[in-house]
Amino acid sequence: MSLIARQMNVLIRASLLELYRRKDLVVVFILGAVLLMPLAFATPFGFSGAHIYFNEMALLMVWFFSVFITLGVSTRMFPYEFEKRTIYPLLAKPVSRGTVVLGRYLGALSASISALVLFYAAYIILCGVRQHVWFSEVLVQAFVLHVGLLMVITAIGLTGSLLLTISANVTITLLIVFGMLLFGAKLPELADQQSLAGKIALYIAYAVAPHTEFFDLRQRLVHGWPAISWGVCAVVMAYAAAYSTACLFVADLLLRRKKL
Amino acid sequence: MSVIQLEEVRKSFGGVQAVDGLTFEVKRGEITGFLGANGAGKTTTIKMLLGFVTPDAGRIIVSGTNPSAVSTRRSIGYMPETAWYYPWLKVGELLRFYGGLCGMSRREIDPMASTLIKRVGLSGAENRQLKTFSKGMLQRVGIAQALLHDPEIYILDEPFTGLDPLARIQFRDIMAELKSRGRTILFSSHELSEAELICDNVIIMKSGRAVWNGSTEQVAGDGTRNLERVFLNIIGSDTGMEA
Ligand SMILES: Nc1ncnc2c1ncn2[C@@H]1O[C@H](COP(=O)(O)OP(=O)(O)OP(=O)(O)O)[C@@H](O)[C@H]1O
Ligand SMILES: [Mg+2]
Repeated sequence: MSLIARQMNVLIRASLLELYRRKDLVVVFILGAVLLMPLAFATPFGFSGAHIYFNEMALLMVWFFSVFITLGVSTRMFPYEFEKRTIYPLLAKPVSRGTVVLGRYLGALSASISALVLFYAAYIILCGVRQHVWFSEVLVQAFVLHVGLLMVITAIGLTGSLLLTISANVTITLLIVFGMLLFGAKLPELADQQSLAGKIALYIAYAVAPHTEFFDLRQRLVHGWPAISWGVCAVVMAYAAAYSTACLFVADLLLRRKKL
Repeated sequence: MSVIQLEEVRKSFGGVQAVDGLTFEVKRGEITGFLGANGAGKTTTIKMLLGFVTPDAGRIIVSGTNPSAVSTRRSIGYMPETAWYYPWLKVGELLRFYGGLCGMSRREIDPMASTLIKRVGLSGAENRQLKTFSKGMLQRVGIAQALLHDPEIYILDEPFTGLDPLARIQFRDIMAELKSRGRTILFSSHELSEAELICDNVIIMKSGRAVWNGSTEQVAGDGTRNLERVFLNIIGSDTGMEA
């Protein structure tokens, strides 16, 4: 194994161990699963769209808890290193700051994906028990794109953590993630109704902000609509990779400039 | 041959001149004690030796190169001033983590880690997470991680702090053994008696400058002096912290 591969390997393992040994995140985990499970067995209200309603609720929870865990892992890593001063023995080893940023990113991402797998497993059980649908192509696509979403959120959370306090970082990232999810697609339309300055500002926001709405296949999943093309999936994942890479470059720069 | 060299090094933080024209060198295979009152600039100097802090002026060479180069740190074992390590890891896991960062394989790390855990007296605590460790136990973890990749140079910031008498003796033995293998050690300390026992040289810092730099034989002089007297003479009766 090459030096960098070894360094990545230990950074990823340490992040996974942290997620599973730290009580607060495990609590979120269990809470998520506990809230999801009863949905599988709850009796419908007697209206025809009941299963759609339950499905939507469940997916909303999967989204909420996965974003929460991802932010919990990614926004705390570096502040914790500085607060507990573990950054000193870490950077005293022959490891570049770029490797540390990438290793921490991959670590946080694997921890978040491992949580996502459990949430999707709970969701699949729910759908299987309620609707006797255990598998669909859209489900696979939704999961893949959800991973793309976590790639972007982890990168933003990690980069923000080198700039802001944890609470400011979490608040801003949540606003961006859910703001774009709700209004991202409508931004150009909104921009066209503004004066010139507002127009420019909104178009810049449209270009720079992470398009979390690209990753959202919940409606298709809920209504049982057909799968999208895998080519589109690939483009969206490429967008996630490019956006994360740009964030990580900034994070590397910030870590190099950080006062120790 | 000197493995650590500082020439007219300066560093200030805002209005505080932490290091003020510091010049000294450490020769290969020697143990050097780095002494001085609180706030004298020891930790700042050590941080510059590791490339954590860039000096405002002057020249620093460690192991023949610039300390901020990643490769320089391959030959350095460092122990920080405050022993805080990832609390959710166990000592073996922590050593695997650091060993991996040093490019060691599991086959290299595991035997070394179990030897070190025994050597620093942590056998029996292997299955506990570090958050349950006492201060002195964490200090021992710090010693183990510094020794793990068997580096050429050791830069230790107050390694004796928090160690019980037996651990101090064991650590002195470790240092002597490292020296016998040609390793170089620079450590900061407030323990004058420890420094006198183990060091070849001592550097005493005051207000960011080296005000005494000599061998422990020179300290003893004609036999009427000891390090404590020399230290008090130099630092003066002013026992307050430095600005
Ligand atoms: N990051 C920093 N920002 C501002 N001032 C600093 C910083 N680091 C150190 N200083 C100041 O520089 C001076 C030297 O500090 P340093 O930590 O090097 O002392 P020291 O000799 O290690 O002291 P001690 O024996 O207490 O550990 C002190 O006045 C300290 O307040
Ligand atoms: Mg200090």
